[in-house]
Amino acid sequence: MLRDWSGGNREALEGLLPLVYEELHRQAANFLHRERAGHTLQTTALIHETYLKLVDQRDVNWQSRTHFFAIAASLMRRILVDYARSKKREKRGGGAIRLTLNEEAMNVAARERSVDLMALDEALTRLEKLDEQQSRIVELRYFSGLTLDETADALSISRTTVATDWAMAKAWLHRELTR
Amino acid sequence: MTNGSWDNAKRIFADAIKVAPAKRLAYIDVACSGDLETRREVESLLNSFENAGSFMEQPAAHEVADFIGQNKILEAGRSFGHYEIVRQIGAGGMGEVYLAKDTKLERSVAIKVLNEKFAAHESNLSRFIQEAKAASALNHPNILVIHEIGTAENSNYIVSEFIEGETLRDNLEKSPSKLSEVLNISIQIANALCAAHHARIVHRDIKPENVMIRPDGFVKILDFGLAKLVEQKAVGFEASTVKHNQTAQGVILGTINYMSPEQAKGEKVDERTDIFSFGVVLYEMIAGRTPFAGDSMSETFANLINSEPPPLTRFSSDTPDELQRIVVKTLRKKRDERYQTMKNLLTDLKNLRENLAFDERLEKSRPLDEKSNPKLFRGTTGETNNRTEAANNNFTAQFKQRKPLVALFSVVLLFAIVGLGFYLYNSQKPVSVANQKKSVAVLPLVNIGNDPKIDYLSDGLTESVINNLSRISSLRVMSRNSAFRFKNDQTDTKNIAAKLGVETLVTGDIKQLDDRIVINVRLINAEDDSQIWGNQYVKSSADLIAAQNEIAQAVATNLRGKLTDSEQRELAKHPTENPEAYQLYQRGRFHVFKLTPQEIQTGISNFQQAIAIDPNYALAYAGLADAYRSLAVGSEMSPTEFMPKSKTAALRAVELDENLSDGHTTLGSTLFWGDWNWSEAENQYKRALELNPDDINAHLLYAHLLSNLGRHDEALVKARRARELDPLFPFAGALEGQILNHAGLTDEALERLNKTFELAPNFWFPHLFASSVYIEKGMFAEAVAEARKAKELAPAQTVSLAFEGYALAKSGKRNEAQALLNELLKLSTTRFVPPNHLAMIYNGLGKTEKSLEWLETAFEQRDPKVVFLKVEPKWNNLRNEQRFIELMRRMNFD
Repeated sequence: MLRDWSGGNREALEGLLPLVYEELHRQAANFLHRERAGHTLQTTALIHETYLKLVDQRDVNWQSRTHFFAIAASLMRRILVDYARSKKREKRGGGAIRLTLNEEAMNVAARERSVDLMALDEALTRLEKLDEQQSRIVELRYFSGLTLDETADALSISRTTVATDWAMAKAWLHRELTR
Repeated sequence: MTNGSWDNAKRIFADAIKVAPAKRLAYIDVACSGDLETRREVESLLNSFENAGSFMEQPAAHEVADFIGQNKILEAGRSFGHYEIVRQIGAGGMGEVYLAKDTKLERSVAIKVLNEKFAAHESNLSRFIQEAKAASALNHPNILVIHEIGTAENSNYIVSEFIEGETLRDNLEKSPSKLSEVLNISIQIANALCAAHHARIVHRDIKPENVMIRPDGFVKILDFGLAKLVEQKAVGFEASTVKHNQTAQGVILGTINYMSPEQAKGEKVDERTDIFSFGVVLYEMIAGRTPFAGDSMSETFANLINSEPPPLTRFSSDTPDELQRIVVKTLRKKRDERYQTMKNLLTDLKNLRENLAFDERLEKSRPLDEKSNPKLFRGTTGETNNRTEAANNNFTAQFKQRKPLVALFSVVLLFAIVGLGFYLYNSQKPVSVANQKKSVAVLPLVNIGNDPKIDYLSDGLTESVINNLSRISSLRVMSRNSAFRFKNDQTDTKNIAAKLGVETLVTGDIKQLDDRIVINVRLINAEDDSQIWGNQYVKSSADLIAAQNEIAQAVATNLRGKLTDSEQRELAKHPTENPEAYQLYQRGRFHVFKLTPQEIQTGISNFQQAIAIDPNYALAYAGLADAYRSLAVGSEMSPTEFMPKSKTAALRAVELDENLSDGHTTLGSTLFWGDWNWSEAENQYKRALELNPDDINAHLLYAHLLSNLGRHDEALVKARRARELDPLFPFAGALEGQILNHAGLTDEALERLNKTFELAPNFWFPHLFASSVYIEKGMFAEAVAEARKAKELAPAQTVSLAFEGYALAKSGKRNEAQALLNELLKLSTTRFVPPNHLAMIYNGLGKTEKSLEWLETAFEQRDPKVVFLKVEPKWNNLRNEQRFIELMRRMNFD
């Protein structure tokens, strides 16, 4: 059901991509600068904002808030995995224009135990076949940065369900990725 | 794994993790009750769960933050089109912004390069282009100037002026602003939005990030990326842009904190959305936070729709009631209840600023014992908690009540001026300027569609308005020459006004819309950049004369108050009643000012057509006289052919209208260059200056005449007067340099010429004259270099070759001098080469006889360049020669 988005909705969301990119970039840049202060990357805000931008939109008939969040979160997943792919490609080759990486940014990346987003994406596609709700929760929690409560709210399910599903999905994905 | 067993595993896993880790295995043994497959799965998952550590604890975005947040950098020194990258100054998801150098125009610019990744999206690209177009359609000092939009190396980019400074966001983060600063910034933003709305453009994304503040306090609005035309009818935009806007309607763009309720709801927006966003920014400047900010985006949205913002006094207790009232009125949720126009809002803000300044002055000038109880005198109630609607409405009443008090204080103030006058005098300009002439510069109307068909009109109308206004003797009107220096960059009006030494500026734009010409004009008070008057004229081309008069009339009235009857008559006069002739005249001027022989010829034919339509068009005859003389003097074409034509036209101009100063000026100049009739030329210049004492051309040409007659002191007085009238006119500086040189003041001459280089680096005259000064100083290498520079800048003339050849000869490079001479001699078989120039090189080579011979030829061929015979120091070695003395006599010198 959730995957069943009509062409119009998709188009409307894609129309907002420049803004999503813009906002993501801004937040990422902010994040890199303020990392020491324990700042995190607030993709949540981005999702909310995107939502606000889409509500009441005339051409698009959003079936529900749940429906929107599902689409927005899968969009975030796509964007971030695309970024990971480009990042990898650029590390290998590099474009015509020289890339300058912020040193601070490199440190941030090195300090954290990194997750291979592309591998995770593939695993998540497999998980989706087993448990669609869990994969949805991963998209909302992990890719979109929603809190447990927000995720519960977005999916209209209980907080406890989200918590246990999230724990299991993480365990499942972790196992897939460490195999 | 089947669905059933997955669900089973899920249930058991969920319960297991609630159990203490040590007891989990025991628990699942029981829970799975012999289902080995499920048990294995749950155990494996629990194992993974316990070892996951920080796995996925941080949002996915962290994994790529370094990549998303990084910027592609164009290296410094790299060229991009004709721009050279200096450094990156900003970045966003859409692209990067660089400081760059425009190598053609030698100025700093900002280049925004759109990321290739995002340009692939068609909507991104059109948004990018739209930003440029919307902003470039606006010509306002508080709006970022777009220079160019283009493509290079497969990247799309916009080039704009480079603004040094910080964003309002940076400014807000530093420290709370003073009230005066808040008003100063907000009035400038309001000014910009007024102009945008006037052009029917809504910004739609007003927020502190889009406001730049320069170190000098000047404010610029950026990012018309979301700007939208209110009406399709607006000119200068392609149909596709308008279409794009229509499809984008309903999509909510912008940042929620600064959105109007209608915008956040995705409804159709108009100018009043900017008024709301402006109100949010104003609120934030005072309160340090936005009025509807919530902990989450949804909360902000809810506040925006449902809640009233806390009163400003909660954050800043000394917020004036009137300011609170203004802010509340901008932030009304229903747009019909808000300020309906930016203009009204602007007026209120300005009044507030004035009243506060008045209060401040009053405070300063009041005797000390009164200062001890300021509240009483300020007329405020001291009631600060104005939460309710009723209280809000009271603000108006309170403010109105202040008026009698203000009147009373005028008396106090008067007393204070008498008693404590110096208080005021220290901080304020002298109050009475009644005896002073009001000064104004009319800047060239900007042809905003860049429509070449009306290029001549933008210049021509401007010139006509200048001419009209010049007839009002109580106004000091900056001449065309100086005003036109700012044809391409009118952003910084304050600076322009300072450079020109005027108090007010007229700026505007012009565009063609079908068969109509749309002209927007504004009269700006340069001191605070406020608009004194503004209007839009939509005219058919037949009505342009009327438009010109209306503009001049409005400007004059706004500057002078009511005009006298004779002033009215002077203003209403125009050189022709025929619109077609008028347009032809404008075209003629446009072409002649381009100064190449071909353009001048085109101009001549325009003037002739104008005259054919209106045979009594004196100004067209004056233009014709100028054009012919320009061919003979500047373009070095046959003087015997063109000087008589110039004289005929000039005489006719004076005959048709004896009161036209242009006619006398051009006649004087023709008598000078062509007839060598010094005394009659002088009479004409005197008459021109009598008719128009501020006619800079008359001053300069008169100075030239006086200098050539050896009346150096008088010449310098006139030249300096010209420079005063027109501090930026490079010709004035160049000519003064030449006059100083001919007066033997070489150091002063160089100093003046160096300043002129700064004014106009690509103007050849100062280089030519500098070459001559260096010759006098014996610095021949420098003389050669300057002469070559002049030649490079103005390849058609040969006078620089004469100076170069003379300098080469004097420095011992006789072969090179001879080669130049040969070149000129060869050239003289195909075109007119002023014999004066040949004589000069011969003289440098020491060939006295040849030199005198060529000077005599110059005289016989009516070479205009022999007018320097008396003062040109390069002839000094010949002055005792009988033939030279005879020449001087025949030239009417002495």
